[in-house]
Amino acid sequence: MSLLSRYLGPKQAFEGGLFLPDQKAEYARQPIETLPVDGPLHVPLSHMADWSVEPVVRVGDRVLHGSLLSEPSGSAGLPVHSPVSGRVTAFSRAWTPYDGLVPCVTIEPDERNEVLSSRHGFENESVIVQLARHGVMCQSPRAALHEYLHAAIARGVGDLIINAMETEPYLAADLRTVVEEPGRIVDTACELADALGVVRAIIAVPFRHRRVVRRLNSEAEGRGVEIVALADVYPQCSPVLLVKSLLDREIPPGGAPLDVGVVVLPLSSIRSAAHALLDDRPVTHAVMTVAGDAIRQPGVFRVAIGTPIERLANRLGLASPMHQVVFGGPLTGVSVDNLSTVVTSECTGALFFKSRESVSPVPCIRCGWCVEDCPIGIAPTDFLKSESRSAASAMVLLQADACID
Amino acid sequence: MIIEPRMLGSQKLLGAPLHRLSGHTHRHIVRAWLMAASVMGLIGIVLYGRAALWVLLTCVAAAVGVDTICSLLSRNRTPGRTERAALTGLLLGLTFPATIPWAVATFGAVVSILIGQVVFQGTLQPALVGRVVAQFVFSGYLSLGGALAYSPVLTPGHVLMGDIRSAERVADYRGWIESQESTTFEAYELERPVQILRRFAVSQVEPDGDLRYTPLIRDLLPPWEDTIFGVVPGGIGETCTVGLIIVGLYLIHRGFLRWQLPLTVLASAAFALSILPVEIARDYRWFPALEFEQDRAVGMAYILYHLTSGQLMLTAFLLAGDVTASPMRVHGQILYAAGIGVIAVFMRLYGVLDGECYWAVLIMNAFVTTIDRQIRRPVLGT
Repeated sequence: MSLLSRYLGPKQAFEGGLFLPDQKAEYARQPIETLPVDGPLHVPLSHMADWSVEPVVRVGDRVLHGSLLSEPSGSAGLPVHSPVSGRVTAFSRAWTPYDGLVPCVTIEPDERNEVLSSRHGFENESVIVQLARHGVMCQSPRAALHEYLHAAIARGVGDLIINAMETEPYLAADLRTVVEEPGRIVDTACELADALGVVRAIIAVPFRHRRVVRRLNSEAEGRGVEIVALADVYPQCSPVLLVKSLLDREIPPGGAPLDVGVVVLPLSSIRSAAHALLDDRPVTHAVMTVAGDAIRQPGVFRVAIGTPIERLANRLGLASPMHQVVFGGPLTGVSVDNLSTVVTSECTGALFFKSRESVSPVPCIRCGWCVEDCPIGIAPTDFLKSESRSAASAMVLLQADACID
Repeated sequence: MIIEPRMLGSQKLLGAPLHRLSGHTHRHIVRAWLMAASVMGLIGIVLYGRAALWVLLTCVAAAVGVDTICSLLSRNRTPGRTERAALTGLLLGLTFPATIPWAVATFGAVVSILIGQVVFQGTLQPALVGRVVAQFVFSGYLSLGGALAYSPVLTPGHVLMGDIRSAERVADYRGWIESQESTTFEAYELERPVQILRRFAVSQVEPDGDLRYTPLIRDLLPPWEDTIFGVVPGGIGETCTVGLIIVGLYLIHRGFLRWQLPLTVLASAAFALSILPVEIARDYRWFPALEFEQDRAVGMAYILYHLTSGQLMLTAFLLAGDVTASPMRVHGQILYAAGIGVIAVFMRLYGVLDGECYWAVLIMNAFVTTIDRQIRRPVLGT
């Protein structure tokens, strides 16, 4: 596979990288399923720990699916909406995977699931205001999407890249999204490209999924959005390497795509933005892969924000006692040890594993594969030579800054 | 050593926590190599009998014993250390002929561990360090320039169980299988093919009229298939080309040896052999590869004999690719392997020292740091 892809597949713009066993074949063909809410939700009132927010509900209030729960009180922040209809029972704190403990509101669902009717359907709002009103987050970099777009406009970007390269094993949420709603993705990409005023808008998709690429191509025909299929080599999903592969620009070590005039948006943000812009609905659910060897029915699910992962795991069938829960991909995700951690809008995957894998440090035997496989040319063996900060040469420090992981 | 981010003044956590691993550690690499070397050891035992088994056992036992003493004295018990010492001992044993006494084997193994592994930290291939030091100290047993021209190989009827010391020179040797009736001993004593080729290169083989290469191939060298299957005299693991290619492919398949390295060693050696002149009847003839005699491509046969008649294959597949002593990147390894091939051929054709391929590896090991420094990838974005 790797040899064939390397020589017959699309040209790779960088050296190194890995063709990983992707583990998603089992559920990549199943449609995205919405999991019904079957217990109290602990909805975090803030998307990020350092945003100050003000709750607009009180204990005992009845809320509908989509009603406002909190509003930002400072200049930065996003509103939070209720993912279910029910009654507010308490204010407390909940563990989140990326921010630790944040204030949350507990909602006891009533089985009716009434949806708040859209009030703003015909108002003439800009794209960016709609994104802000519906609470759309961007996963990488972690920021409110509208603020990131503001920053991008202020820097004068020329290109928009939408990152549908899901090269980490297990994760299939982006793939399912592109399969199920290619038209909406292209529409949203056009909207955002117009809002940003970019010259080129590119959607990067894995070369391996030929039918998806063909379908997206037919959707994007004549719309000013390019579809580019890239090799499925592992860190191709990194913005640094996407910019290198698609535009042949190199981001300086420690820099961001905005430094070279490019906006890279993950597909999950586009999915939420599509929800906000095309349906006029706030972000209340996260589309995420739930998989791992401890789960009996893995798949891609639309999970209400605020669902504790323990309930999620029990619902999908725990095959055996799990020893590790990872939010995100198995290579770059965060491992959590608290089973009451709740799903937030930024979650793209929750992986439940039977065992925790780790390596004990061993002396380097100079096999050289790390040097060969590093996609950006860091020589990890150089770090071994510099045992202290004073011994670390400028080159080594530069390499440390260039690391994309 | 574990890198801590604050040591390097970077806010980033170096080496993100990987939650799923491939399961490969450095122990798997050493074990795969040990397995490959053991297969060659078994083939050597079949070809050279019990004596080969004793040489290999002595080497491995001495290497592991000395390494254990060292680790006890230095209190440095790195995981996988014993396997690595065993691998060094085994590789050393593969380079020795089966006829050496146990003292030579022990001496070589002790030097390999003490100098190759402890002092040089494996930056020179440790097994070869032991081999060349033993070659100097025991020059009577390990030829230092042709002293060991004749050495034995078991006859077809006595493989595995025969005694290699019961050997006889066969006057009219026609091949391993064909000459079986002409001896009552358990082993043939033959001139090593490498030795014949070296004599040929310095004009010690008389031409037959116009024919320069034909006397060498027709009269002196064993049949080519004998050198392929290894039924010619030489070191325990040196001769069996088929076995070496198979274990080499196994290591390549496991990803612990890059295919570019053995291929480049062999290709560069063949390239050098096809160009470098051979002295025949006081006449230097360049480009031996282009020689044709009686419509036979004798030049090509000459090169193939050079590649398969011992040492070069073992060097290409097992000795040169040692992970610690070879360059880290593929481009560096190609450069390194090309150096090995060319230096080995030079030393074989024009040098006096025996064990030329081993010397070539040690010489190129000395350049590994330089090669690694030169073959460096630019960091993206700088």
